[in-house]
Amino acid sequence: MGDSMKLFKSIKWRLQLWYGLILVVVLAGFGFTSYQLERNRQFRRIDDELHRRVGVLGNAMHRPPPRGADGGGLPFDRPPRGQFPDDGPPGQNFRPRTEFHLPPEDAHFFGTNDPNGFYFKIRVGGGIKPGVQNETAIAHSDNYPERQSGLAYDYYFEQVNHVEKLRGKEVMQPVVMNLAEQRVVLNTLPSGEIIEVGCSIAPELHELNVAATKLTAVGVAILILGLAGGWWFVSRALRPIQAISTTAVKIAAGDLSQRINSAEAESELGQLAAVLNSTFARLETAFAQQKQFASDAAHELRTPVSVILTQTQMALGRERDAAGYKQTVEACQRAAQRMRKLIESLLELARFDAGQEILKRHPFDLASTVKDSVELVQALAEERRVKLVSELLPLSVIGDSERIAQVITNLLTNAIQYNQPDGEVRVKLEAQGNLAVFTVADTGKGIAPEDLPRVFERFYRADKSRTGAGNSGLGLSICKAIVEAHGGTIEMASVSSAGTTCTVRLPIND
Amino acid sequence: MRILIVEDEPDLLASLAQALREEGYAVDTADNGEDGLFNAEGTDYDAIVLDVMLPGLDGWEILKRLRKTKKTPVLMLTARDQTRDRVKGLDTGADDYVVKPFDLAEVFARLRAIIRRSVNQTSNVIEIGEVRVDTAARIVSLKDQPVELTAREYSLVEFMALHRGEVVTRTQLYEHLFDENESSLSNLLDVHVSNVRKKLGAEFIATRRGHGYCIEG
Repeated sequence: MGDSMKLFKSIKWRLQLWYGLILVVVLAGFGFTSYQLERNRQFRRIDDELHRRVGVLGNAMHRPPPRGADGGGLPFDRPPRGQFPDDGPPGQNFRPRTEFHLPPEDAHFFGTNDPNGFYFKIRVGGGIKPGVQNETAIAHSDNYPERQSGLAYDYYFEQVNHVEKLRGKEVMQPVVMNLAEQRVVLNTLPSGEIIEVGCSIAPELHELNVAATKLTAVGVAILILGLAGGWWFVSRALRPIQAISTTAVKIAAGDLSQRINSAEAESELGQLAAVLNSTFARLETAFAQQKQFASDAAHELRTPVSVILTQTQMALGRERDAAGYKQTVEACQRAAQRMRKLIESLLELARFDAGQEILKRHPFDLASTVKDSVELVQALAEERRVKLVSELLPLSVIGDSERIAQVITNLLTNAIQYNQPDGEVRVKLEAQGNLAVFTVADTGKGIAPEDLPRVFERFYRADKSRTGAGNSGLGLSICKAIVEAHGGTIEMASVSSAGTTCTVRLPIND
Repeated sequence: MRILIVEDEPDLLASLAQALREEGYAVDTADNGEDGLFNAEGTDYDAIVLDVMLPGLDGWEILKRLRKTKKTPVLMLTARDQTRDRVKGLDTGADDYVVKPFDLAEVFARLRAIIRRSVNQTSNVIEIGEVRVDTAARIVSLKDQPVELTAREYSLVEFMALHRGEVVTRTQLYEHLFDENESSLSNLLDVHVSNVRKKLGAEFIATRRGHGYCIEG
């Protein structure tokens, strides 16, 4: 039950079922119509022949019998055909013939001993004419089949009466019917004779049967071909879905390196696969970055923890004087401060990553913020014997002035720390179009070209060491996060041994 | 025993150096790669404690260059505990590694182990006649009675015991018992030798005139 339900819920099966059904309906309709057309054509041909023979017999009946051919023939006043009133009550002017011989010129219309040829029978009476009570056969062809002809007459009279009732008057229309494998026409002449012409339709029926069998066979063949072709096509069309599903399962299981292998990039599913693949790639990168970030963060904590452990274990190893303990406590404090700074930076970045960092948005003068930051680092610059030169154009931007000040101070500190004695740091704020462009250029030894693209990466340090107090390797990453949260850009350019220039662009508040 | 520590984090370097000195080692320090390599190549240390992440030359590079000239046992301090980092360290020629953050006790034990291995000693306890030197507990006993030795005297006994059967020159002793900051007065060594002989018996350390000293196996 569950399996069959599943089967009907499968797109493949549902599609197959639907177009199978449509195919069956179309084929059956087509087959039935063709069969009917063929059948009608055959019967019309036969009926034409039958009617023609009824006409021939009718005409022959109105002709006087050839002299000497029939001595006992009654005198028969044949009226001209045109004078015979079609709707007049038949049989009033003429008496039915009692005898008839098929004229030789008409003999070819009927078979002699051929059971499949046309045959005829002419009779009088049988209930249709009130004056003629007894049914009498006047003539019949040699191949007239032995059968219960009563059936044909019953049906004929029924039809005739029916027509009479319908029209309210007696009209003698020929009636065509099928009797077993016979096609029979009955007609009453105005003189009262009933002409029956028939023929076997066994060959035609056989032909029609063969045609029906052929049509069915062709229909079934087309249906099978259609279903097989459809199955193949649907399977092919749905193959990317299979691939997508397989890959998604593997990715859900944790293997993020999996990609959908789809050769059909043109189809809609191929495009979907491509979109999913790029999503998976981004997911993998994000996961890898997150993993790297966590591992780097743990790594950064190892050194301060080592300091605390060795310091305390060493201090506790034996009795010490106050100065000894003080030294240990101070070292531990430095390590703890370092960890605190690292944790703060990590949390800050995590908030930016999660989009949770709430920035104030108010207009402020960027030039005065830069000026404040320059004053803040002045002492450090003097200590390092670095000259600070600033050229500031008052420009208003919208954002969090404290955060922007953090970025500027960080960049200035880097420019001073990585400078050389008697070096220079040039700070410039200018407008370029609708952007405020802030540059910090130092005269340090520069950043190697291979390191340059990675300086904004988390924990990336160009000098590969931890030296430089408070250098967590996160400063520039945080700067980048802050600037980008303000809709700005930050970039680093460097000429080896000639200095580094950092450029921050922020939208101007008009 | 004389040890070189190469570590760029000042607080870690200071505490490691002090702890090892208190353990009786003569300790030299370097806070960057270049100085570290210079020291390591210029002196026959009994062991080197080498940090991987260093400004200038990193730990791997120092190790690679040092191995061209010296077989000094090296204990690496690594911040990464991934297998490939350890494998890289051991393959480059490190004798052992400790992952940060570490316990001092573990660093001491691993240092003792690599020093012992470097002189083909397998046990912590060395027995020479009636004298027993326990290098783990840093205790010397004579006829199962512990003998009081100063740290320097113990170092002398330990070094001589680890090199038993060899003639140890005065220069060697100076190099291994005193660090670079100590003024090596030539008679200081004689004082230590004579004190040890008083405590462990005159015949414990034999003098090879013109060559140095020797503990007969």
